[in-house]
Amino acid sequence: MNRESEFFKLSRTLPFDTRDAAMIFSLFSLQLPFLILVFVLVATGQNSTLAETSGGTNENNSGAAFSVQPELTQHDIVPILLLRCTVCHGARKQEAKLDLRSRASMVRGGNLGPAFIPGKPEESLMLKRIRAGECPPQPRLIEATVKPMEADEIVKLTRWIVLGAPEVLEEPDVAGSLADKLIRKEDREFWSFRPPQPTKIPPVTPSDRVHNPIDAFVLQKLAEKDLSLSPEADRFTLLRRATFDLTGLPPEASEAETFLTDKSPDAYVRLIDRLLSSPRYGERWGRHWLDVAGYADCEGRREQHLPRPFAWRYRDYVIRSFNDDKPYDRFLLEQLAGDELADSEHATEITQQIEDNLVATAFLRMSPDPTWANLTGFVPDRLEVMADAIDVLGSGVMGLTFKCARCHNHKFDPIPQRDYFRLLAVFKGAYDEHDWLKPELNGFGGALSAGLGERYLPYVTTVERQRWQKHNAGIQQEVDLLKAAPQTTHTEKQIKEIEARRQPEPRIMALWDRGESSQTYLYRRGNYLTAGLPVQPGVPGVLTEGQTPFEIKPPWPDAKSTGRRLAFARWLTQPNQPLTARVMVNRIWNHHFGHGLVRSSGNFGKMGDKPTHPELLDWLAREFVGQGWSIKSMHRLMMTSNTYRQASTVAPRGEQLDTGNRLLSRMPLRRMEAEELRDSLLWIAGQLDETRFGPAEPVKTRPDGLVLAGKRRSVYVQQLRKQPASLLESFDLPAMNPNCLQRSESLVAPQALHLLNDTAVREMAARFADRVLRAAGDQPTRQVHYIYWTAVSRPPSAEEQEACLQILTGLTEQWTKQLIVSGKPSNLEATRKALTTVCHTVMNSAVFLYID
Amino acid sequence: MRIETMPTNFHPVTRRSFFKHMGTGIQGAALIHLFGQNLLADENRAVLSLLPQPPHAPAKAKSVIHLFMNGGPSQMDLFDPKPALDMHHGEPYSNKIAGEIENIKDAGALMRSPFKFAQHGQCGMWVSDALPHLTRQVDDIALVRSLYTTNITHEPAVYLIQTGRMITGHPTFGSWVVYGLGSDCENLPAYVVLDDPLGLPVNGVENWQAGFLPPLYQGTRFRSSGSPVLNLRPELQDPPEIVQMQRALLNRLDHLHKRQRPSQSKLDARIASYELAARMQVSATDALDISRESPQTLEMYGIGRDPTDSYGRRCLFARRLVERGVRFVQLYINGQIWDNHTGLAKDMKAACDRTDLPIAGLLKDLKQRGLLDETLVIWGGEFGRLPIAQLPADKDEKKAGRDHNKNAFCSWLAGGGVKGGTTYGATDELGLAAVENRVSVPDWHATLLHLMGLQHDELYVDEHGLKEKLTGVNEARIVKEILA
Repeated sequence: MNRESEFFKLSRTLPFDTRDAAMIFSLFSLQLPFLILVFVLVATGQNSTLAETSGGTNENNSGAAFSVQPELTQHDIVPILLLRCTVCHGARKQEAKLDLRSRASMVRGGNLGPAFIPGKPEESLMLKRIRAGECPPQPRLIEATVKPMEADEIVKLTRWIVLGAPEVLEEPDVAGSLADKLIRKEDREFWSFRPPQPTKIPPVTPSDRVHNPIDAFVLQKLAEKDLSLSPEADRFTLLRRATFDLTGLPPEASEAETFLTDKSPDAYVRLIDRLLSSPRYGERWGRHWLDVAGYADCEGRREQHLPRPFAWRYRDYVIRSFNDDKPYDRFLLEQLAGDELADSEHATEITQQIEDNLVATAFLRMSPDPTWANLTGFVPDRLEVMADAIDVLGSGVMGLTFKCARCHNHKFDPIPQRDYFRLLAVFKGAYDEHDWLKPELNGFGGALSAGLGERYLPYVTTVERQRWQKHNAGIQQEVDLLKAAPQTTHTEKQIKEIEARRQPEPRIMALWDRGESSQTYLYRRGNYLTAGLPVQPGVPGVLTEGQTPFEIKPPWPDAKSTGRRLAFARWLTQPNQPLTARVMVNRIWNHHFGHGLVRSSGNFGKMGDKPTHPELLDWLAREFVGQGWSIKSMHRLMMTSNTYRQASTVAPRGEQLDTGNRLLSRMPLRRMEAEELRDSLLWIAGQLDETRFGPAEPVKTRPDGLVLAGKRRSVYVQQLRKQPASLLESFDLPAMNPNCLQRSESLVAPQALHLLNDTAVREMAARFADRVLRAAGDQPTRQVHYIYWTAVSRPPSAEEQEACLQILTGLTEQWTKQLIVSGKPSNLEATRKALTTVCHTVMNSAVFLYID
Repeated sequence: MRIETMPTNFHPVTRRSFFKHMGTGIQGAALIHLFGQNLLADENRAVLSLLPQPPHAPAKAKSVIHLFMNGGPSQMDLFDPKPALDMHHGEPYSNKIAGEIENIKDAGALMRSPFKFAQHGQCGMWVSDALPHLTRQVDDIALVRSLYTTNITHEPAVYLIQTGRMITGHPTFGSWVVYGLGSDCENLPAYVVLDDPLGLPVNGVENWQAGFLPPLYQGTRFRSSGSPVLNLRPELQDPPEIVQMQRALLNRLDHLHKRQRPSQSKLDARIASYELAARMQVSATDALDISRESPQTLEMYGIGRDPTDSYGRRCLFARRLVERGVRFVQLYINGQIWDNHTGLAKDMKAACDRTDLPIAGLLKDLKQRGLLDETLVIWGGEFGRLPIAQLPADKDEKKAGRDHNKNAFCSWLAGGGVKGGTTYGATDELGLAAVENRVSVPDWHATLLHLMGLQHDELYVDEHGLKEKLTGVNEARIVKEILA
């Protein structure tokens, strides 16, 4: 680097004015030796920038070599100005034409002259105004969500001006260099930081249990303990297991019949294919992904929870993506950088793809977010929102516990604090704590769409927009007609009624890059008040060796967007990225087998669990990429394996030698998840409303606190942080803080109370009984058969049948008596009530709630 | 600790710890039978239960009654006399503390307390005449006058005092206690919330959330009237013969199901949970049935008369619940009755009048029944109030109140392990900020956990790789000086 030319470039950015001659001189004398020093250090690789605790520019100036570094530089001052001043004098607003983001712009000044005169604090306008308490202006503090400058910050600023406002040049900190001092070679050798390795499929004898390579890997491990897979589960079990796993609902009667009567060898494979093409598949697997994203229909973290009126588009996008088997790399690309995939602002037509690109980015907007309210919208609050987004991305997609590196270098994994802030810088174009779009109606500063929320873009498909325009134009026409006609006493009322049908403008909840962002500083100890060195966007150093370099370029010519997230997303979806494919196949495995091959599905680091079958994990990861990142291919692969098809029976040897089922000597017995349970109850009652997509079905809270949901599938029920539907909550619906990677399975008495006593559940039992009566008539044996076929997709065993028939008789007698006593004798009613009780009992029974 | 989201660090109910429990005899016979078979036998995923857990260290207190005084009770009008305010009454002061005032335009001059202070009990604790009944119990309480917090807005301050963090999503103190200790009471929830029928406090149900802990550890609301627990009984009850037959059928079907699935201990646990549910129907109703309490007891709590009836009932319920082994009981009052921005003399007195007698009665009753030693009673809110006046719109000083203050507030403890009659810490002469023996919220939480036999740095869950604790990442100090 030619340091002379660099220096003059710097000088040229300053206004050449005789008034400034003295300043230029002082800058020269102060800075030149230091610049030389910095460049020498960089060249020899000695620069210890961004080490764990130092980080700051001022902490390294011990030793003679550093004695020439200015006591204060722009990097001590700019973070303060970003925090206190630039909301009015920065990127979005430049009140009095003043921009306080750089030394040059400060010296250039605004309408009232330069912000400061280097070396002359007493003549510096900005100091005068700050000291007088005029800036930031008291009455506007809350509105702008800033706080006045602290006394020590004023001292610092003054001192900097006294010193002549020295500036230093820094080599930009970028990832990708092999000479990264913060990462050792050994660090890169940890299993999960190396790309998945090619593995040989182990030969297994006897090979008759090997349906596909999964079985070979699993059998190999089992053989070490002289174990094998359990026998194949019966067809009823397979039908129910596969159907719940893929659709979250019991099998349709027609499906059961097709499968159970299909005697061909590939009947089961065909079943899987039919289930994968069911629209219910996306509703089930989309829900898993919504857990990863932390989906909610409200912002959260405040007394009132601001609704997210368009969040449902993201939910629908996820469901459709799963149904379409969108390749996972594309799925991630859209969610992390959809706004940078196409220029939606200047598109002549908004296609479904362009809309989807934007809708997908709501993935990064799902964190609980209180910043719409002034008092909880300050910089630290915003940083919490950003931290949550990083946490979701880190744990959910990358299997890394980034949040540990927010305040210090990660204690166990090779993630320096620098890498956390590099990642933060990747998102800065969209998530800038100093230039914040509030999730509220009338924000301060942004005003892209006054009245409709700063975070909502208007780029729905042209088709939808035109439909909306046409609808409202029609209404306008009706109103105009009425107004033109002679007025009657009803006219006003009629107009009101017509106006009520007017639809609000369709919008998209999105995250998008807004161009140039504020400089990212590493916050020492995670504290926004102690900014350290500036950091450039980059990816975790430990994952960079041998990878395509992280390269940022504008996504299209003349783009306003920085392209940072797109570069990141492209890097993340490289075929040999060590974590992306592994984490996702592990997640799919987790949902099929009850736990991942890596049990800590959000932590593939040193403190996470080691894979139980490392070769299998790598084989699956490579297979996943090889099959075009197709998630459905992975289902097919896993579910057709004999490992998946084995029974869940715990055999004594397996129990003894395979505790915890780590070797997969059996399938786990699992309780239905909250949504499966609620949806299935509605389904067997014949009450499930399978309307797909669109705005959420609202929940209703009763005065006693019971939260009721309607009849749509649970994935379409409004997800409010404070009012989770009670039935779902009782069965471990997680709170999204910020997301959930592994649901818990609790076993407590209130679950029993809910299923036994809740009015809505009892009502469903009655509707189920009606179905039984309609289908099976008054023949008790047929009734019991129908109940079992509907609820558990198989005929009752002889003992079950006997138990049910016996009680059914007793119940009928008892109800007959009761009805006579109450003066309303009716045999039909007695039968109905008795059947209701039996149906209700089956809905409470383990045979219904557990899946083998 | 036991939770499935933390596979590397969790210590499931091992055989050893199981038999350790059994030795203490605190576990019901049914559960002993049940959990004798390791619930982790399959899948290595813990089935979560509220099985009692041993504390990290022996502790006197077994239960907690948390009297949450949401709104921010005024320290210099209740427990922290400030003669300097009498001397400087009416002097302007707001410009010196402008950054600490939420409603700067309403800020008035320094304001003396409208209440009179005197020393009480053998310990000579200062208490104002707004709390005449509590003055008789001061020898049992340890008062801390040097608490401070970090935000002057209700929501974040309430989150902080309840969960240790200023944002939502973290488990409340009660959830941590239940997570750490489980429950000694099979037939009732471990963490019971008695909220005010008049309405919820700020942050609503998030005050008893389990955050990232499973919902199992969150508080269960008991209603003061009608059926105490949601769905405790069906709205339309079936005749007993029918109920009997239904239970018989369920039992038979579940046993048939289980027989074909040996070694699936969660199926046994499930059958037990239905038995438990049946018992809870009786025990929860019984716990809140005060019809057989003596007239003297009802009188002691102020039940049956205004304005103490409502809070008095909840205090008596609290005693009955800890008597039955409920681990954590939390009492709330509606809205923000301690949030006296205006009308301090009248409104704060009204808040005292609603709660003073019931709380004094609770302490007295617990003591006379020998329960106080094993119960930790906590009184306090989320922050304190300023020494200056906050004026109403018409600037009428007679209607003045006080604005929020994060730099000083008072709380007190009574019961198991607490050194009664102690006054700890001090504020400056105006009561603006804690200056002597300052106690942060994490210090406070660490002290409370210590009293329950839990070590704040040992009680954690692994959440996305971070060991999340009630006291967070900062150092926390146990306030030993208030411990017996």
